[in-house]
Amino acid sequence: MHVLLIEDDTEAARFLVKGLRESGYSVDHAADGREGLFRATEGQFDLVVTDRMLPHIDGLAIIELMRRKGLTTPVLVLSALGSVDDRVKGLKAGGDDYLTKPFAFAELLARIEALLRRRSSAPQATRLQVEDLEFDLLARRVTRGGREIELTARELKLLEFLMRRAGQVVTRTMLLEGVWDLHFDPQSNLIDVHISRLRQAIDRGSDHPLIHTVRGSGYVLRTDS
Amino acid sequence: MKLDLFNTTAFRLSVAYTLLITFAVAGTLVGAYKLTERLIDDELDLIIDTEVKSLEEKYARSGVAGVTDEINLRIESWGRIGGVYMIADANFERIAGNLTSWPFDGMPGEPWPQFDITTIEPGRRAVHPVRAAVRALPGGDLLLVGTDISQGRRFAEKFRLATLWGIGLSALAAALAGFWFSYRLARRVDEVTRTCQRIMAGDLSSRLPLAGVNDEFDSLATSVNGVLDRLEDQAGTLRATFDSTAHDLRAPLHRLRTRMDALLLRSPPLEPAVHESIESALREVDQLQRTLATLLQIALAESGAPLAAAGTVDVSELAAELVELFEPVAGERGVQLACRPEPQALVQGNRQLLAQLLTNLIENGIKYVPAGGNIEVAVRRLAGSVRLVVSDDGPGIAARDRARAAQPFARFAPGKQEGSGLGLSLVAAIARLHRGRLELESNHPGLRVVVELPA
Repeated sequence: MHVLLIEDDTEAARFLVKGLRESGYSVDHAADGREGLFRATEGQFDLVVTDRMLPHIDGLAIIELMRRKGLTTPVLVLSALGSVDDRVKGLKAGGDDYLTKPFAFAELLARIEALLRRRSSAPQATRLQVEDLEFDLLARRVTRGGREIELTARELKLLEFLMRRAGQVVTRTMLLEGVWDLHFDPQSNLIDVHISRLRQAIDRGSDHPLIHTVRGSGYVLRTDS
Repeated sequence: MKLDLFNTTAFRLSVAYTLLITFAVAGTLVGAYKLTERLIDDELDLIIDTEVKSLEEKYARSGVAGVTDEINLRIESWGRIGGVYMIADANFERIAGNLTSWPFDGMPGEPWPQFDITTIEPGRRAVHPVRAAVRALPGGDLLLVGTDISQGRRFAEKFRLATLWGIGLSALAAALAGFWFSYRLARRVDEVTRTCQRIMAGDLSSRLPLAGVNDEFDSLATSVNGVLDRLEDQAGTLRATFDSTAHDLRAPLHRLRTRMDALLLRSPPLEPAVHESIESALREVDQLQRTLATLLQIALAESGAPLAAAGTVDVSELAAELVELFEPVAGERGVQLACRPEPQALVQGNRQLLAQLLTNLIENGIKYVPAGGNIEVAVRRLAGSVRLVVSDDGPGIAARDRARAAQPFARFAPGKQEGSGLGLSLVAAIARLHRGRLELESNHPGLRVVVELPA
């Protein structure tokens, strides 16, 4: 997977490039808006990660120009501007996700992965299945090994979010945004409690737990080996 | 808001002026009418008086016969038109004159008595009003000299009609002018009001329209627009300041975090103890970042910048969602969290900010209410507003501390030092940003936080 990183903060960029390469991505780095725009529109990238405030050309302007050229490459916006309307503006300009600095590298990694997978997944599926866990999206019914599991509407939404991203790390903020549509960090360990409830319902009495905690990042629903 | 013309100062003022003008015109015209009537009467009286005097002289010189001749002469040939004469004896029996009988019941009481006569003119009978003078002559006879006043009456009648029309028309004209004037005035004031409302709703780019006639409204609008230019400019400057502050503080925090992150991901891995302490330092960085974000949010809200990304938010739905989100956490701490939402509690606002407001209130409750306690989130629709009440039966806040509880960094529960101490300040700021208000009350026992948001 080929990622373009547009970031003028050289120290932060150096670390991000190194981290992404270690995670298996091939990374190009552009240090200002002009170079970033040129590379983003000329090169073949699977994903663009851009800072919002850049010398010469603003990050949002880059996205707008990319979209005007018909490029659908997913774009993740990094920004030190974190107010509500900054986020909205970022997404309106054509960005696919918005991450406020400072962020944990694990958060960035999880979001990059999510954006890359989103392109290949089929959202119109009516049934999700991971091992013996089945989710009938139309009937909103969940069974594990044929046994029906009673879940609340919110738990169903949480499980659907995890199953659609099976095998992929999902962070707490991604869950808050995706399941609860909350774009700020509550202080409490809210998500952990909800996950542990869901885990009890799904994995109780099973030899093969499906919901796993990824230390320092979040959660993943996958067939354990 | 519809233009309510009848409730404007201009309208009331023009009603008052219309009444004033009507009274003034009526006073003048009625005065002129009365004066004219008096003048006409006086002139007639003078004529009658003169004739009475000349007939009295005739009587003094040549007795009843002389007066009779004189009267007959006047009636038949050269007397004035409309003259009425009569001489009668002490028993009111006619001696001579152009009246057939004494028109009064005895001697009239007033000096200028009036009565009606019926004249027989060629082809018709007509009733004429007459004004007269009566004198008792020295010989006991009675002399009556009068005059037909129907012409004067007709004139007065016309004058009266003209007066009434004049009053009516001038009242109508004044009312129409007043209505037009107050409508125009009210419309221009209404334009100002509407623009100001748009601006308060967050559209700082709105400006008052100019009529281009250089009147006082144009100069008012120009001044107000000047103020708005400055406000917009200041809001822009503030916004830029916040942005650059946020950027300048977040960028080094980001580098710091990045470096620490890099240490954690290094291979070979760090010693567990070092790893642990870096992780704990990272948590501090995240807390710092949250505090910074909150402070900036409060500052932005307090700067009077307009509400961003506003839409219709159902507070009840939001409250129910957040209660559902927090319920397990509260449950873990042995606190009952309940929600009493009234459906369709709609306000114009920013969902994320209102969710943050609710989150802070619920988190505060969970933080301070001891195990076994209760927190309730209630949403009620009121006329024109939505009332959100988060109440608990925890330790509450002492009455003397409540006023400053919403100020930044205020903490009251001894020993509790977690959190930024900004929770309630952000709640207050968000409420203010939505043009709502925040009140802290005692819940007997516990804390009752009331947030009222305009619908």
